[in-house]
Amino acid sequence: MASKGTVSVEVSDLRREFKGKGSPVVALDGVSLKVGQGEIFGVLGPNGAGKTTMIRILSTLLLPTGGWAKVMGFDVEHEPEKVRRVINMASGAEKAGYDFISAKKNLWFFSQLYGIPTATAEKRIMELSEMLGLTKYLDRKFYALSTGYRQRATIARAFVNEPKVVFLDEPTIGLDVMTARSIREFLKEQARRSERTIILASHNMAEVEAICDRVAIIDKGKIIAAGTPEDLMRSLGAPALVMEVSPPQSGFEMLSRVEGVKGFTASTEEERGLSTVHIVVETDAAARAAEDAVKREGLKVVASWRKQATLEEVFVALVGRGFKEREEQDVV
Amino acid sequence: MKARALVRLWSIFGEPLWIVVSMGFPVLSSLALSLLYYSIGAASYVGFAVLGGVMVSFWGNVLWSMASQFYWDKQEGLFEIYLTSPAPISAILIGMSVGGIIGTVPSALIVTGIGWVLFHPAVNAVWGGVILTFGLTLASLYAMGMTLSSLYLAYGREAESLNEVLQEPVSMLSGLYFPSLGARSPFPLAIQAAASLIPLTIGMDALRKTLFYGNDIWQVWPDLAILGVMAVVLLFASTYALKYLENVGRRDGTIGVRIR
Repeated sequence: MASKGTVSVEVSDLRREFKGKGSPVVALDGVSLKVGQGEIFGVLGPNGAGKTTMIRILSTLLLPTGGWAKVMGFDVEHEPEKVRRVINMASGAEKAGYDFISAKKNLWFFSQLYGIPTATAEKRIMELSEMLGLTKYLDRKFYALSTGYRQRATIARAFVNEPKVVFLDEPTIGLDVMTARSIREFLKEQARRSERTIILASHNMAEVEAICDRVAIIDKGKIIAAGTPEDLMRSLGAPALVMEVSPPQSGFEMLSRVEGVKGFTASTEEERGLSTVHIVVETDAAARAAEDAVKREGLKVVASWRKQATLEEVFVALVGRGFKEREEQDVV
Repeated sequence: MKARALVRLWSIFGEPLWIVVSMGFPVLSSLALSLLYYSIGAASYVGFAVLGGVMVSFWGNVLWSMASQFYWDKQEGLFEIYLTSPAPISAILIGMSVGGIIGTVPSALIVTGIGWVLFHPAVNAVWGGVILTFGLTLASLYAMGMTLSSLYLAYGREAESLNEVLQEPVSMLSGLYFPSLGARSPFPLAIQAAASLIPLTIGMDALRKTLFYGNDIWQVWPDLAILGVMAVVLLFASTYALKYLENVGRRDGTIGVRIR
């Protein structure tokens, strides 16, 4: 998949296998893509799809077993030292700070890993903190910060060296809505104003939809669709059908036998006593047939409506299942 | 390097409880042994107990804050940040060492002060030799900590157990509180030879000679030469081991694997 303008990240036929108990486990299976400068590029997929593996290869923590990848023109396998000068990374799962020193001192320390003069580093830390709403908490010890502010500090750390390319792995996981929103605004600002390339691995569809210029949907190590979120959603051709069904059900297998149903995902709301089914349909007739199929099973369709497709429905249309069901399939 | 040293110092002195805890063990063990030696009429050994209290502070720091540090850093996700930065890992390790040494000095001084005031150990020192020996002992000891830190990366949750296993035997073999080399050693020659592979053993022996027996530099030059060689070899070994483990980790995908 191609990018417009200067290419920051280029990946060609990238493969990564891990030793398994029997045969090797393929985490990445021939991924190719190009990401342009100043672009926020989303890598979307369920857990175990290969997102983190790709991020780890691009950030020089893992070697590919096939293909190649370049960051700002430097080969990640053969020129890791050069790549490391122009990148930074952060993960939502990391703690990434020394507990008994303040957030400010932590950030200063990490800036020193890049040889940034102290005066410049301090100015940059203040700017980043201002943007992320962290200023008031800079002098608190790291352990005393709430999860949200710790994550803001982690994001500030990832930008402290003014990297050309930033890799973020689930950066807003477990955060409250307001914190997640402010981090997203910050990321958009960084890409737009400072022309930084941001590669964002996530399984949060709303996040990817909200901030990414382009998205690659990845499943079982392969890119199964790529483009702008709008293009991907438009590509479905028909809007999704949402049905609220009573009593709650764990399976809606009857839908997979309906012609014109490309896929579906279901969730149960015990408090409301119903299941909500998102169905991707090819035509209006398929939507009607899906509703009839549910009714034939003796279930009551409490409400149904059509809506604009989301990225989740794009994934469902391509794979036949949602992220959650896909992850459960892999466990089985 | 400087930044990592400062982080270590801020961490040590940022928590008053830590200062008390890090000083408590060396002070108490040194006091207990000094009293024991004193009460059994072995007053000439009291100085060894005080010196042991000083050096056990550094040994504890090497073991718990140097050797296992990268293991903890890996668990917290910090090691990945180090690796993906352009900073050389060896500089980070040297920074940790310098910070650790400076941060342990107050504990060492307190042990010395208390021992001096309470027991007045007999000293017959050649101070130039003492300072040089002390410096080389710390250099080789912390270089050993740097090497261990790289090896600990290869271990999983065994790191903490390994520390427990190493702490007391090394303290005993290296003769922290009594001579473990030479005529006064209670150990047979084979154990003395094995103990000599630990930099702390050579360092402690040389420190006793220069501090209590009036040996000058020329009388302890073999010890100093061994300590110097150990420091250099272990420094290079740690750098090599870290690079090797990084390459293995990148190949096998184990760099970011955390033990839960």
